[in-house]
Amino acid sequence: MSALVKSILFSFVLISILFTGINAYSQYVAKDTGFNKVYTIDEITVSTTRTIKSIGDIPVPIQVISKKFIQQSGSQKLIDILQQQTGLILSDNPLGQSLQGYPNPFGSGIQMQGLDPAYTLILVDGEPLTGRNAGILNLGRIAVGNIKQVEIIKGPATSLYGSDALAGVINIITEKPTGNNSLLQVHQSSNKTWDFSASQSFKKDKTAIQIFANRYSSSGYDLDKTIYGQTTDPFRNYSFAGNIQYNLNATTQLQTSARLFTQKQFNNYLVYTANQPQAVEGSSIETDWSFNNQLHYKISKKLKLISRLYITGYKDNAEVFMMSNKQLFDKSYMQQFLLKPEIQVEIGDKRNQKLIAGAGYNFETVEANRYPDKKRFNAFYIFSQKEWMLYNKLNITIGGRLDKHSLYKLQFNPKLALAYKAAPHLTINASIGTGFKAPDFRQQFLFFTNSLVGYTLLGANELANGLIQLQQQGQIDPSVNITPYLGNNTLSPEKSIGINIGGRYLLHNKTTFTLNIFRNDINNLIDRYNLPFSKTNGQAIFSYININNVFTQGLDININHRLNNLFSINAGYQYLEAKDKDVIKKIKDGKMVKRDPVTFVSSYVTSKEYGGLFNRSKHTANLQLFYNSNNKKWGANIRANYRGRFGYSDINGNNILDDGREYVKAYVLLNAAISKSFKQGFEIQAGAENILNHKDKNKLPNLPGITYLVNLNINLNQLFTKQL
Amino acid sequence: MKKMIQAGMIAATAIVITLSSCSKDPVNEITTVEKTDSLVVNFSNSSSFAFFNFKNGAVVANTDSATTKWDFGLRLTTFILNSGAYGPGNAGAILQNNIYSSVTAAPTTGYAYDTTTSQKAIKDGSWYDYNPTTHSFAPKAGQTFIFRTADNHFVKMELLAVDYAPFVGPVPSQLIYRFRYTYQANGSVSF
Repeated sequence: MSALVKSILFSFVLISILFTGINAYSQYVAKDTGFNKVYTIDEITVSTTRTIKSIGDIPVPIQVISKKFIQQSGSQKLIDILQQQTGLILSDNPLGQSLQGYPNPFGSGIQMQGLDPAYTLILVDGEPLTGRNAGILNLGRIAVGNIKQVEIIKGPATSLYGSDALAGVINIITEKPTGNNSLLQVHQSSNKTWDFSASQSFKKDKTAIQIFANRYSSSGYDLDKTIYGQTTDPFRNYSFAGNIQYNLNATTQLQTSARLFTQKQFNNYLVYTANQPQAVEGSSIETDWSFNNQLHYKISKKLKLISRLYITGYKDNAEVFMMSNKQLFDKSYMQQFLLKPEIQVEIGDKRNQKLIAGAGYNFETVEANRYPDKKRFNAFYIFSQKEWMLYNKLNITIGGRLDKHSLYKLQFNPKLALAYKAAPHLTINASIGTGFKAPDFRQQFLFFTNSLVGYTLLGANELANGLIQLQQQGQIDPSVNITPYLGNNTLSPEKSIGINIGGRYLLHNKTTFTLNIFRNDINNLIDRYNLPFSKTNGQAIFSYININNVFTQGLDININHRLNNLFSINAGYQYLEAKDKDVIKKIKDGKMVKRDPVTFVSSYVTSKEYGGLFNRSKHTANLQLFYNSNNKKWGANIRANYRGRFGYSDINGNNILDDGREYVKAYVLLNAAISKSFKQGFEIQAGAENILNHKDKNKLPNLPGITYLVNLNINLNQLFTKQL
Repeated sequence: MKKMIQAGMIAATAIVITLSSCSKDPVNEITTVEKTDSLVVNFSNSSSFAFFNFKNGAVVANTDSATTKWDFGLRLTTFILNSGAYGPGNAGAILQNNIYSSVTAAPTTGYAYDTTTSQKAIKDGSWYDYNPTTHSFAPKAGQTFIFRTADNHFVKMELLAVDYAPFVGPVPSQLIYRFRYTYQANGSVSF
């Protein structure tokens, strides 16, 4: 889609909103949007358990980020909002962090319970996003203005959702039609960042419609002027979303939603060709669309049927050209498609005593320039979950799911969760479940030769073909016996067991304490290995194998306290240990050696020196103070995030974290915002992020220095009603 | 880039310190001496091998490739030995998982040779960890190479660092291998 078409489409939505907003004034009476309302836990409902429940009824650790929190933060970046929550940590892909002041090419995601971003399932309205780049999804694909709430379930949720939900699930719930409403938002922040959002919701008789449009752009920033190119390059993106709810009759409701996102990311950097530096420029265009159709049919008071059809596509096309002669330097693409019909039944009418069961089918294709051909997969799954309530105090939930995928063997993942109401204000939870993560496309299908060094990486499923091809081309000597690698090299999914124990305590209706202790054991982790023979150019051949075993354990604590009518305070803390079991064994056996990079003295690593997996902070914490004036006109908040030191990369020749010089220092991010709303229906907000201006161009290139933001929110209906 | 240059400079300084401390050691009574040396190779998998001779502690010209004057050769990250497919000599190697200082004797048997160009004694990728972040080829700590030289003497060697040579602009052109080794001149296996 050309930029012109997108601009026209965007303007069209904007104009239609302005138009309906003006027209709607006579019939619309402004009401409290709940902006300053205080919720108790039972009033917040979530759907990530596949049935709508109040969060007080959920026996597993759950966090909900409300629209109110998102608005108060003033941020337009979902990842920034997520990382202000306890235990959600911004993390680079383990495949690569930054490179000398450039951001890593794989992006950043959210680390949860100490597991890498690839181990958390990201859903939008209960359906998975596709298009992971080496395990990481660009969370910028979700326009913040259209988020109603974010539900975060910690601990394995594979028993309901299948692959990837080992650490948990982040379910982004988008706005639904809410009567007649027209909202506009203009956001401006540092680095020439602009965001325009418009949404319109109508309701007439049995039909409710909501549409949303957004344009977001930024010129990026440069943390190191001494190297060519910016730290992050400019980009612009457009999001469109539409949602229709149609009540056919009292028992049947049809919900249809569609989403389109398209982003152009500009690139300009140096490459080395024939040992000469050459500047290249170009862009990558990312497109993501989905269509989600749901039919809710209430057959009787005790039986409810939901059928879902989800179709989604993702495309990423990148091209860069030499600046000197405009010749194409590099081109890459990735394209993914998923069709997912599903049916679910809900039996029972009593709270916390329902049975849900469902079945679905995935038809998926993926194509990329580094994979030899178009891949097609089929997967079938069934899941079921039953709850019991004993003595009105003990809730038992048992669930399980079977996944039959065309690429790997049958997976069964059960889960058991208990919630015990020990006292009127005290609930104790415990759960145990398993999870799995299917090998990613790269691990299965990659066929890549590094043009500079000359090594070759082969995905497990391409290993046999790749070796035959390399030998035929003379890149492997004819004397090498490749037959041991021509059999079945299929990777198994990575498996986990997660245990979560905790509770929630409400004190004087003013203070909520939550505690969760977790432990995850992950087996069969896939890693790269080196084949025992090399290519004729002397370089190695790598493939992937199930080999590693790691664990993560720790606890998180949250305290929410209302000081009085004006102030409330949130505090959170996570303690985390994440270690490789094989490394622990090697250290115990006296086989792990380090070599000091300055003195070149070698010695054995001690257990005490081992700091665990890279990129994990032992201590993280947050503290947030919110103010809302009595007349609800003024709001202000200050939010601090502490990230304890974490491992960055090895310097002493053993590839593990065991030296103080291998860490990134602890730092604090301080954010603040202030808002004033006017009775005419608009609100002005100003804020600053990273007020302490913490920067590290090499190790934290994703963190610009201090940035400022201004938001203008307009409720058109209210604006025109009041003027009448 | 600056990081690499810095690391290179630190390593270079360390070498100077190591070398100067070596030269102060009394060497008269001892048949073995630990030396630290370096070998510079082009950042290319198609240029010619750089050859090294342990006895003289010297780089050997590439024109001597068909002689027994060299013990091992290096190209980018590929080690070859003066034996089998690559040379007329008898050179073999064992890669031991032991701290250099704790290796007191060379095994008498068990040496691997470059039987063919694809089946080398020292497998590429076996001795380093490649870091995609910094593009560094870090030699694994706690690994000691035991060589039998082209003329049947024993050497223990440890790779200390593989650094990118300082360069102008972003172009990697050369790798500097820094290693320490002990050559047993009397022909025995003890170090």
